Amino acid sequence: MSETEKTQAPKMATGDRAILPEGARTIPVYIMGKRYEVPETLTIMKAMEYSGFKFVRGAGCRGGICGACPTVYRKAGDYKIYFGLACQTVVEPDMFLAQIPFYPANRTAYDLEEIGGEADAVHALYPEVFRCVACNNCTKACPMDVDVLAYISAVKQGDMAKAAEISFDCIQCGMCASRCMGEMPQFHIGQLVRRIYGRYIQPQAEHLKKRVEEINSGKYDKMLEDLTSMSKEKLTKLYTEREREPDLAPSGEWMPEDTQYL
Amino acid sequence: MAYTPEMKELIKKVEATRPDRVAMAKNNEHYPALTLKEREEVLNKYHPDYQEDGKRKVKVGPNKGDVFQEEVAELLESQSIIKEDEADLSEPDYETDVLVIGGGGAGTSAALLASDGGADVIMATKLRHGDSNTIMAEGGIQAASQECDSPFYHYIDTIGGGHFTNQPDLVSTLAHDAPLSIAWLERLGMMFNKLEDGRMVVRHFGGSSRKRLHSAGDMTGAEIMRVVRDEARNRSDKITILEFCPAAELILDEDGKCAGAILYNLETQEFYVVKAKAVILATGGFGRLHIKGFACTNHYGATMDGVVMAYRVGVGNKYLYSTQYHPTGVVYPEQNVGLLITEKVRGLGAHVLNIDGEQFCFPLEPRDVESAELICEAMEKGKGVMTPTGRMGLWLDSPMIDEIHGEGTVKKELPAKFIQFARHGIDISKEPMLVYPTLHYQNGGVNINSDAETVVPGLYAAGEVMGGVHGENRLMGNSLQDIITFGRRAGAKAAEYIKGVDLKKPTLDHVAKFEKELTDAGIENPKTAPIILPDYSTDEVSAKRWTKVPIGGE
Amino acid sequence: MKIKYYPGCTLKYKAKNLEDSAVASLEALGCEVEEIERWNCCGAVYSLAEDDLIHKVAPVRDLIRVKEQGGDKVVTICSMCYNTLARANLMMKEDEEKRDTINRFMDEEIDYAGEVEVLHLLTFLRDEIGWDKVKEKVKKPLTDLKVAPYYGCTLQRPEEVGIEPLGSFELMSGFLEAIGAIPVDFPGAAMCCGSYQVLGNAEAVQDAAGKIISTAQTAGAEALAASCPLCEYNLGKEQDVQIFYFTQLLAAALGLDAEVSRFELNTGNAGELLKRKNFL
Repeated sequence: MSETEKTQAPKMATGDRAILPEGARTIPVYIMGKRYEVPETLTIMKAMEYSGFKFVRGAGCRGGICGACPTVYRKAGDYKIYFGLACQTVVEPDMFLAQIPFYPANRTAYDLEEIGGEADAVHALYPEVFRCVACNNCTKACPMDVDVLAYISAVKQGDMAKAAEISFDCIQCGMCASRCMGEMPQFHIGQLVRRIYGRYIQPQAEHLKKRVEEINSGKYDKMLEDLTSMSKEKLTKLYTEREREPDLAPSGEWMPEDTQYL
Repeated sequence: MAYTPEMKELIKKVEATRPDRVAMAKNNEHYPALTLKEREEVLNKYHPDYQEDGKRKVKVGPNKGDVFQEEVAELLESQSIIKEDEADLSEPDYETDVLVIGGGGAGTSAALLASDGGADVIMATKLRHGDSNTIMAEGGIQAASQECDSPFYHYIDTIGGGHFTNQPDLVSTLAHDAPLSIAWLERLGMMFNKLEDGRMVVRHFGGSSRKRLHSAGDMTGAEIMRVVRDEARNRSDKITILEFCPAAELILDEDGKCAGAILYNLETQEFYVVKAKAVILATGGFGRLHIKGFACTNHYGATMDGVVMAYRVGVGNKYLYSTQYHPTGVVYPEQNVGLLITEKVRGLGAHVLNIDGEQFCFPLEPRDVESAELICEAMEKGKGVMTPTGRMGLWLDSPMIDEIHGEGTVKKELPAKFIQFARHGIDISKEPMLVYPTLHYQNGGVNINSDAETVVPGLYAAGEVMGGVHGENRLMGNSLQDIITFGRRAGAKAAEYIKGVDLKKPTLDHVAKFEKELTDAGIENPKTAPIILPDYSTDEVSAKRWTKVPIGGE
Repeated sequence: MKIKYYPGCTLKYKAKNLEDSAVASLEALGCEVEEIERWNCCGAVYSLAEDDLIHKVAPVRDLIRVKEQGGDKVVTICSMCYNTLARANLMMKEDEEKRDTINRFMDEEIDYAGEVEVLHLLTFLRDEIGWDKVKEKVKKPLTDLKVAPYYGCTLQRPEEVGIEPLGSFELMSGFLEAIGAIPVDFPGAAMCCGSYQVLGNAEAVQDAAGKIISTAQTAGAEALAASCPLCEYNLGKEQDVQIFYFTQLLAAALGLDAEVSRFELNTGNAGELLKRKNFL
C-alpha cells in the first residue's frame, strides 16, 4: 500500500516482519557472538531476521512443531547452557545464541511389517540404547520438555507403551542426540517405538476394518456417483435435513433414523 | 512473554469497562449485529477476499481474465528465475521414474505409493523433509469410519460446507478414500487417539453431521508427518530425498508431456536438471505471500510455487481468490503470533474491544464479517493496539468469561489456550488476549481430476496446491484428509502411468512462450517466481544492502 | 506397610516372572508396593574405576528419585541392581569429595548424601516382615522340597554392601525354611554364574554354570533359588536342577495363583516340578 492513499493507517508490522514502533525499547543480543539491538518481546527467529539474517536452514513451520530451529544459548555470567526453539523463545538482554539447524544422527532402516512388536527389535536396531548413563543431558536439551531419559529408560525396560507415550511430543529437532554421552539418536528410537506401538500394541480399529471392506466391495460407489451428478437443490435439501449425531452419544452406539445411506 | 508495563497500562481501560459489559452480557444484551446490507458494506470495504481494492484480472495464462488478489496475480504473471539460454537440459543430473516436488504430507504419501507401485522416486523439497503445513495441523483428519456415518454423509457435509461450489468428483474421491487413508496410516503405525478396544475417538467439528474427526493428541498433522516421513526414510533404495532443493521450473518434452523439473540447490545456488517420467506437485499453499500484510499460520516455505510452475505449463487453477482468514489470530506474545483463537472464546461471551476498552462489533458475526470489522477498527478508525514489535491487535476480553460463567471456566473450557499463554506469562482468565485476523489456508489451487491428474500428461497435483475439493470454504479436518487421499492417488497413478511412457526431447519452450505472452500483454518488469522464501528484512536493513553483486563476484 | 520399590530394567521385560511373583507376594504379605516414578537403569555393573563418576550418576539418580518421592528406604530384588544401588549409595554417604562432584554435576536434581537405605528383598523380608509373619502367611508350605540357596557374586560382594558376610548363607536359608522348604548347603552358593561372559565366552559360562549345578545336585538339591535374571539365564541352561527365582517359591508357598509366577519364562519346566509336588 502506498503512503499517500492510506494516511490514517499507522505503519505496522506486516507478515512476520517486525518494526520498531515509536517509543518501543530495544535490547542487545549476541548472534553467534556479534551484538545486535533488537525490539524486546521478539522471538529469537524474528530478532535474527530483524537484524538482517535470512534463513535457509533453521526456519520451518515457525509455529513450534517442526523442529527446524533448535537454538542453544547462554546468558551473560551464567555457566548453564540453554536450549529453545528460535520461533518459540523470546530474546532476553545479553543472550548469546547460535542455531543448530542440523545434527547428524545414526538411523537404522527397518521393515515395520517384519520386525514385530517386541522390544527386542528396538534393542537389535539400536543397541546403543544400552550406552545410556542416565546423565540426563538429553532431557535438559529438549525444547519440548520431553522427559527423554524417561523414554529411553522405558525402551531399555521393554515398555513400548510407556516409551511411546512419553516421547509423543518429540519434534525430532535432534538436540537430545547432540548432547548424548552414549551417542545415541534418541529421536529416531522414539519414532521407531511409536510406530511399533501404533502398529502392534494399540488395538486396531475393527469398525474401520469393516468400513474399508465395504468401500472396497463397492458398496458406496453408486451412492457417490449419484451425488456427483445431483442438482444443487436436491443436495441442499439433503444437507439441511441431515440428522446430527448427538454430541454426547457414546461412540458406535447412536444410529440415525435414516439408514439407507450407511 | 508477559505483557509489557505499557500494555498493562492499556489493559486497565479494558478492566474499567468490564463491569458494565459483564452486566450487559448477563442481561443477554449484545452489541447490535450488522444488518445484511451493513455486512456487505464492511466486507467489501475491509475484507481482503471481498475488497475490490487490491484485486485485479490477470492478463495471461490459463486463467486469463479471472480476478485475483494482487499478490497472487503478480505471481501468476511472473517470469522464470532461470535464464533460459543458460539452462542445459541435455545432461540431466538425476533421472528417475517419478519426481515428487514437495516434502509435506501429500508429497510423502505420493512418494510412498509410487514406490509401492514399483517406481523409483526422487522427492525434492524446499526445506527439510516434513517442513510443511501438514505438520502444523492440530485438529484432526476426517473420515467416515463409524457405523452411523458413511462416505455419503462425508460428501454431503463437505459440499454443503463449501456452499456447493466444490468440484463433485474430487469430493466423491475424498469421501470414498478417507477411511482407506486412515487404515493406511494405522497400518503404518500412527498413534491415533483410541478407546481401549481400539475404536477410534472421533469428534464433531463445525458443519459436521457425524463425529468424523480422528486425531492424535493435539498434533495430528505432526504425527501423520512423522510416520510417513519415517516410512519414506526406510525406503532409501526406492526414494531419494533432496532437501533444500525447491523446484524452479517444470520441464516438458516435445510432445507436451511432463518430463521432469529444474531444481535449485538453495545452498550452492546450482540448478539441477531432473529427468522424470512423471512429476507430482505437492508444494502446498501460499500463506507466506502475506496477502495485504496479514500474519499467517503457514510454514516458512508456503509461497505458491506449484501454482506458478503449473501455470506456465498451461495448468489453470480455481478458487485461488478464496483465502481462509481467521478473525482472531494471536498477535502477542510473539511466540504465539498466528495461533488461532477458537470461536468458542467469543461463544463463551468474550467481547472484542478497541484500545479504549470499547466494544465496536457483535462478537459472533460470521467469520469473514468479524474479520472485516476488526480490520476496519484498527486501520480505518486507528483504534488498534500496537505491540512492541509493531503488530496491530484488538483485545479479546477472555477474563469476562469467568465473570459470566464462574471462576475456572476459562481454564476448563480452553485448556490448551490457557496453557499456551500461561507458558509465556499471560493468564488469559485474568488478562485479555490481543488478536487480529490471520491468514490460514489457500482454499483454491491447480485443477486436477479425481486421479490427481492435471491436463498435462504426467503431471499430477495433491495437497493444498490443488483446488476444488473444498470449494470456497473448507471444513476442518478435510485438508489433512485431502493430503493423504490425493497424495496416495497421485503416487499410485503416476507409478502406473510411467510404465508406458517414452520421453522425447526435453524443453523449456513453454517458459519462453509464457514470457512472450507476458511481453505481448504489456506486462513490464514482471516479478520473478517462484519466490521460494519470503523476505523478512526490515526496510532499514534492506536500505543498507548497497551491493547488487554477491560477495566474491558473480 | 508401604514400601518404595525399584524394579530394574530386566524385571520389566525378560524377567517379568521375577517381578510379578515378588510384587504379588509382597502384596499378599500386606505390603503396599510403590514403584518409584521416573526411575532409570541402575547401570547394571558398578564401575570399579575410582574416578569413573559418570557411571555412578545413574544409580544416584535413582536414589534421588526415592528421596524426592519421600522414601527413606528402597527395596530391590535383582542382585545386580541391589549391588549397584547399594555401592553408589555407600559412596555418596562416605566420600564427601565424590558426593560434591556428583551433586554439582546433577544440578537439576536435589542434593543427595546417602539418605536412602537400599534393601534387598530378602533383607526386607527378614527385618521388616519377619520370618514368623511369613510362616504365618504360608498356605502351602513347600514341605521337603530341597532347595539350594544361590547367592552368586553380587549379593555378598563387596563386604560393605553384602546382604550377609561371605560364606554365610543364613539369610536365604532362613527364607527357605520359612516357606517350608529344606535349604541345601552346597559349595557353589557364592560362585559366579559366568555373568556377562555369556556374550563373548559362552564356554566359560557353561563351565561355571555346570560346576554350580553339579555341586547343587551332588548336595541333593532338586531346585535352586536365585535372585538375579542373569544367573537364571546362565544356570537355567543346565537342566539337572530346576532354577527358580526365590520369589516364585514364595508366591507358591503363599498359595498365590501360579500365573503370577509366569513359569513359562523360566528355562525348563519350573511349574511342572511344583505341580508334581502338589505345591501348586
